[in-house]
Amino acid sequence: MAKLKKGLVQNRYRRDDDAARQQGLLRVVGVSFLNAQPHLHGLLHGLAHERMHVSLAEPSELARRLYEDEADVGLCPVVPLATHGGFELVPNVAIGCDGAVRSILIVGDVPIAEAEELMLDASSRTSVILARLIVRHLCGGREPRLCARPAREIVETVGGKSLGLLIGDTALEVFGRFKYQLDLGQAWKDMTGLPFVFAAWAARPGTLSDDDRELIQASLRAGLEARPAIAQAWMRGHGGDADKHLAYLTDHIRYDLDEAAQAGLHEFLRRAAEAGLIPECNLRVAGQPELPVRAQRRSLDALLEYAADGGRLSVEDALWLGREADTHELGLAADMRRKALHPDEVVTYIVDRNVNYTNVCTTSCRFCAFYRPVGHAEGYVLSRDELGKKIEETVAAGGIQILMQGGLNPALQLEWYEDLFRWIKATYPIQLHALSPEEIWHLVRIEDLSVQTVLSRLRNAGLDSVPGGGAEVLTDRVRSKIAKAKCTSAEWLEVMRVAHRLGMRTTATMMFGTSDTLEDRVLHMIKIRDLQDETGGFTAFICWDYQHDVGTRAVAGETGTVLYLRTQALSRLLIDNVQNIQTSWVTQGPGIGQVGLRYGANDMGSTMFEENVVSSAGTTFGMDAAQIERHARALGFKVARRNMRYELLCEPA
Amino acid sequence: MNDFARVEEKVRAGERLSFEDGLSLFLEPDVLRLGALANWVREQRHGDRTYFNVNMRFEATNVCEASCSFCAFAKLEEGAPNAHTTTHEAAWRELAEFPDPRLSELHMVNGLHPTLPFEWYEDLLRGWKRVRPNVHLKCFTGVEIHFFAQKFGMTHEQVLSRLKAAGLGSLPGGGAEILHPDVRQRISTDKATGAEYLAAHRAAHKLGLPSNCTMLYGHIETFEHRVDHLLQLRALQDETRGFQCFIPLAFHNENNSLRKLPEPTAIDSLRTLAASRLLLDNLDHVKAYWVSMGVATAQLGLRFGADDLDGTIIHESIYHSAGSRVPMALSREQLIRLIREAGRIPVERDTTYGVIEELPRAPQPEAALKLRDRFAQKRALSVVSGA
Repeated sequence: MAKLKKGLVQNRYRRDDDAARQQGLLRVVGVSFLNAQPHLHGLLHGLAHERMHVSLAEPSELARRLYEDEADVGLCPVVPLATHGGFELVPNVAIGCDGAVRSILIVGDVPIAEAEELMLDASSRTSVILARLIVRHLCGGREPRLCARPAREIVETVGGKSLGLLIGDTALEVFGRFKYQLDLGQAWKDMTGLPFVFAAWAARPGTLSDDDRELIQASLRAGLEARPAIAQAWMRGHGGDADKHLAYLTDHIRYDLDEAAQAGLHEFLRRAAEAGLIPECNLRVAGQPELPVRAQRRSLDALLEYAADGGRLSVEDALWLGREADTHELGLAADMRRKALHPDEVVTYIVDRNVNYTNVCTTSCRFCAFYRPVGHAEGYVLSRDELGKKIEETVAAGGIQILMQGGLNPALQLEWYEDLFRWIKATYPIQLHALSPEEIWHLVRIEDLSVQTVLSRLRNAGLDSVPGGGAEVLTDRVRSKIAKAKCTSAEWLEVMRVAHRLGMRTTATMMFGTSDTLEDRVLHMIKIRDLQDETGGFTAFICWDYQHDVGTRAVAGETGTVLYLRTQALSRLLIDNVQNIQTSWVTQGPGIGQVGLRYGANDMGSTMFEENVVSSAGTTFGMDAAQIERHARALGFKVARRNMRYELLCEPA
Repeated sequence: MNDFARVEEKVRAGERLSFEDGLSLFLEPDVLRLGALANWVREQRHGDRTYFNVNMRFEATNVCEASCSFCAFAKLEEGAPNAHTTTHEAAWRELAEFPDPRLSELHMVNGLHPTLPFEWYEDLLRGWKRVRPNVHLKCFTGVEIHFFAQKFGMTHEQVLSRLKAAGLGSLPGGGAEILHPDVRQRISTDKATGAEYLAAHRAAHKLGLPSNCTMLYGHIETFEHRVDHLLQLRALQDETRGFQCFIPLAFHNENNSLRKLPEPTAIDSLRTLAASRLLLDNLDHVKAYWVSMGVATAQLGLRFGADDLDGTIIHESIYHSAGSRVPMALSREQLIRLIREAGRIPVERDTTYGVIEELPRAPQPEAALKLRDRFAQKRALSVVSGA
């Protein structure tokens, strides 16, 4: 047991950028793809010595590090660039193409215009959005059904009217193997007459000196010279054919950020923003005048108006609103968005019960007053009798669901949950909304199984949906401080991604007010929005501030009613693709829960019946169905009960 | 132009609002617009400055001749279960032993006791002044003053002069309930009428005793009654300038005979706060009394027109008897934090709004940016030293 426990309570956040930062080194992050190797060649062969710390990452992780200030400069794909806004590009150098590229393909049996479904390898958001622009263009504005799938699954299942988007190595491997093949580099060229840019070196303004930029450019010059050696090395490390690698690097990839490439990049930013797929983001290249995508957003008022009309916001936009917008105006804008998304003026809630099946937990989060360590006298696991009684009471009170969450109890194995779920579903007419991502990861670790296997088995045993708890704030710098034994932000999102792919719906939450800043909160919301773009599986977003009256150890940071309402309003504006926002009366009290309905929320959450976690920290509020309805009606709303999928269970009244 | 837009123009132009204007404030469906306007007025007057004080509550007796239907605190007669009257010694000791040296105010509200002699109250005040002469005594509502006048055969002026001589510093605003007789006769049949409440305050103001005023809302009154109430207060203020602060009080429904009525929700509290700020153009301060509104709503109230959170309280019984779930006290630090969280500047005040200490606003939360600046500097240095 001791060994097991030690294995579970590891610090999951070993960061190698800390040392680099302390030494005053510039933290450079490159991409671990073949087409990026020429850029990195010089840096990895002496140019970075004593000036830069270079690391490699997948594009999504690269963007995360850049966003979360774990990197100073990165070879960043253009969609994360636009999603963030405010970055400055290193002049002259990029990764792009001018015509056929071979590494971004739509493949299948029939032409895209006849497709009913397009499966997307969503690991590159830039490729996905490029594909959507081109598909809309070729299909007269129409889009086939889109769904995200792992690359291997796409290769295996493409056929009939189902096509696939493949990128990177997979695309290069399957080149020429399918009856229909659309090279998106060529298709972009045909559509616009311009080159395309996939990625460029990006940094926050003021971070890089001229010398730094010169080094980055020199690294590429060295890398272009060394392309034959790079191709050989890539073959040794990754297999394939060195000649083909060299041809790809020489004939298909374009490395300039010259006038033509900038025009291509600008055109992409403009078209994607116009289609509502990315925020409006001006093109900023160091030392050159800014190229606006649209000149309209110069003032805070104009930005508020844009947001209230449903415009997609960048991180930069959201930070501006979060810092400077007046609380009432933020609320009014969020209220307009709510009304646009829910024009019937119906406020919903669910009659369900919160059940915490165990309080034994190994993570020791500093903000938690609920858990007890293994072996503690106050530790409990609910028996079936106790649980059954709670469910019976719930059903008797008109409840349709139980929300079951608990600590990470090492005594409970996957089979225990499977048996329990089967028993519950066989015994009671009740929906099971259970096990937050942290609990899923716990099972993944103790059973040594994949996330997909654990979730599939739980779903087969009766799990209906996954609650979005334990997200806290989804930036690693915050999680490493307050919950370092918990899964990383990427792991949390991965559970949700897999759950959505398996057809389960989930919610997403955010508990802020410990060591987070506005920037962390905005990045959290952006991560939810990005994943929602990919899967569409989130039904609702719920945020609240850290409740810290008693029994917790984390120092309270930015909390309070006003900030809660501002944050919720901002979430309504920023997370434009999640349909529902819940107000958190459980933490804020019925009053602010009600007022929250004017700050972007359209849902009053659940009747709870019992609450054990925030009440351990001194916050105890209770409302029954009648009180919830009264509070919503006092604002002029109609009220209806719903299920977890937000389907109404009665006529609104 | 709709009604609210017209009112908004008047407010921005500094014009006085009419009864109809006041009504349109309560009927404006968009509470945030109303709040933004009240917030504008509040910021015109006070900027971000937000007041609080270190005070304690004291209730000398809950024995009361009156039988207000909204009250869960008063016990009709001595000897009834839970009826309680303090002794002088206990009252003096409580003040003498109050641990916080920053205490600047004692706030006392009592039942209308049928047998205690007037001298008993005078002695109570004198004793307090002896043990802690620097603590301001804000005692006796207008209703109590009127009760004393009737019971002891004096005018309001005579009652107040004698209490002032014994150490009284100002009057709290309680007992106003709803001034309009249609409502008042139904909820408080046997205590000072609206006119008598106002007369007691007028007398206090004439003697140089400042006072506060209140309104108990959310029970059986209509919006018309609320506007009428506020305009009556405004009229007296035009005459005397003696009101310091207006405090809207939300009706609570436990343990009283109006318990079948629902309590006003937060949105009503915020609306009332905002409307009061806009109508009472001659009162300096509007308070979001956290005991009445709840801590969270009161905090938000600081952006809906209020510029005061009241104080640390320590031991409130009246609202708690009627089911208020708020804590019995907030520490000075908690009050400061609440004000800062609302983006305001905390100002510790005495009872008459003299500044005891103005505290800095919350530091700007830009830790990440600062870290980056530090890093950039460090790097610049290391490049220089390496070169």
